[in-house]
Amino acid sequence: MGTSVYLFSGGQLRRKDNTLVFESPDGTKYLPVENIQEIYLFGEVDLTKSLLEFCSQKEILLHIFNSEYEYYMGTFYPREHLNAGHVTVKQVEYYLDPQRRLDLARRFVEGAARNMLQVLKYYRNRGKKVEGHLERIQELEGKIPETAEVPALMALEGNIREQYYRAFDAIVLQEDFQFDRRTRRPPENHLNTLISFGNSLLYSAVLRETYKTHLDPRIGYLHTSNYRRFSLNLDVAEIFKPILVDRLIFTVLGKKMITRRDFDAKLEGIYLKESGRKVFVSEWERRLGTTIRHRSIGREVSYRRLIRLELYKVEKHVVEGEEYRPFVAQW
Amino acid sequence: MEDEIRINGTLVWYYTFCPREAWLMSRQMTPDEDDENVVIGRFLHENRQPRGRKEVEVGHSKLDVVRRDSGTLVVTEVKKSRHSLKGARMQVLFYLIELRKRGIEAEGELVVPEERKVERVVLTQEDRVKIEQTVEELRALLRRATPPPPKRIPACKRCAYGEYCWA
Ligand code: SF4
Repeated sequence: MGTSVYLFSGGQLRRKDNTLVFESPDGTKYLPVENIQEIYLFGEVDLTKSLLEFCSQKEILLHIFNSEYEYYMGTFYPREHLNAGHVTVKQVEYYLDPQRRLDLARRFVEGAARNMLQVLKYYRNRGKKVEGHLERIQELEGKIPETAEVPALMALEGNIREQYYRAFDAIVLQEDFQFDRRTRRPPENHLNTLISFGNSLLYSAVLRETYKTHLDPRIGYLHTSNYRRFSLNLDVAEIFKPILVDRLIFTVLGKKMITRRDFDAKLEGIYLKESGRKVFVSEWERRLGTTIRHRSIGREVSYRRLIRLELYKVEKHVVEGEEYRPFVAQW
Repeated sequence: MEDEIRINGTLVWYYTFCPREAWLMSRQMTPDEDDENVVIGRFLHENRQPRGRKEVEVGHSKLDVVRRDSGTLVVTEVKKSRHSLKGARMQVLFYLIELRKRGIEAEGELVVPEERKVERVVLTQEDRVKIEQTVEELRALLRRATPPPPKRIPACKRCAYGEYCWA
């Protein structure tokens, strides 16, 4: 299985014969291309067309972040290599049929809500005051089947998430990391910055796994396919945000691995500095590599693998009509 | 739809293990390419043509053939282990029938390089009936809009669809 490379500083990424070379003020780094599956570019990096060609040929994804504000800009997604027309046709069929699309979209929201509840229950059992939020989410969750259209479902999902984020203050209990309200571009406070950064890493990870299936990441169900380049990864990411991103945030804040000093306030918002990004990313990699016992597969699988399995389930839903049941964390 | 179903030897081979696998393959739903067994299979495929062998297309299949000094045409099929020989035999028999339909008499052989094993395959009347029956079943299976659901069988353990099927 391929690895991920994170390039934090600025520099030049070039192809040199059969390797990738990253030249930066910190020195020259050779990257063993046979193993790399994706590269994250955070700094101001110069790329050439021949490099892109090389990445395409080696099936390497490039995730590009704005170098000043480090928000996610996009992914260079090499030409599809596992093409199965039949799967694409089925994916589109489900997208075009309003009932079937809504049904799938509801499953993503349902899975997201269930995982949020798991996270909150865990903290409730450790004495955090999240009971009220928990109950309200349960109430809202009950309305998922009543939604008649995707936009209404999206709105409901927004309400659920809002309740959920409000519980963060009771979990984090730090003056420096109050939630206030969700702001995205740009994030206007420290907690929002962490959420945005973590979510971007997750979107990219799901995209990378999608590349290894027959699914077309442009066709999503909850997130509309109209104007976004990729949307299926956003759908599937909903399931994993609470378990992967939010838990990580609680860890790095709880252990004070990231503090206010790791941020920069700029004209347009609050940003994580390189020090903070490095900590976050190394925790992220650790988390993705963590394994859990998978009952039907019959062995331990990593969270990264679990993302792939989730995509397989979506593929089976559209191709075989086998109902997709989202992964729900056990604790 | 009818004539879009292209039966080839590889599908016959998959079918003998697991009908579901044959269906998935027929829709180009190739399995997980990180899977070790797929890597070995690809390696064998890329490295299996010693001198004097030729890949020829017959119907929808690609066959490895050699011509012996005696003048006999021999279809060879290389597999990575003895486990798969029963299925491989079906596959070769299928090729022999395809060739005979085109007026070509040939023999087959199964090769397991790692075990230095070579087995001869000759088409009998009995085989013929059996293969034709199998191909009919396979055709019916592939006509279905969805694959049969996964069933736990011994082959699952080494199958590259494992994670897809059991996720
Ligand atoms: S995992 Fe088992 S059921 Fe699935 S295709 Fe392979 S052999 Fe068939």
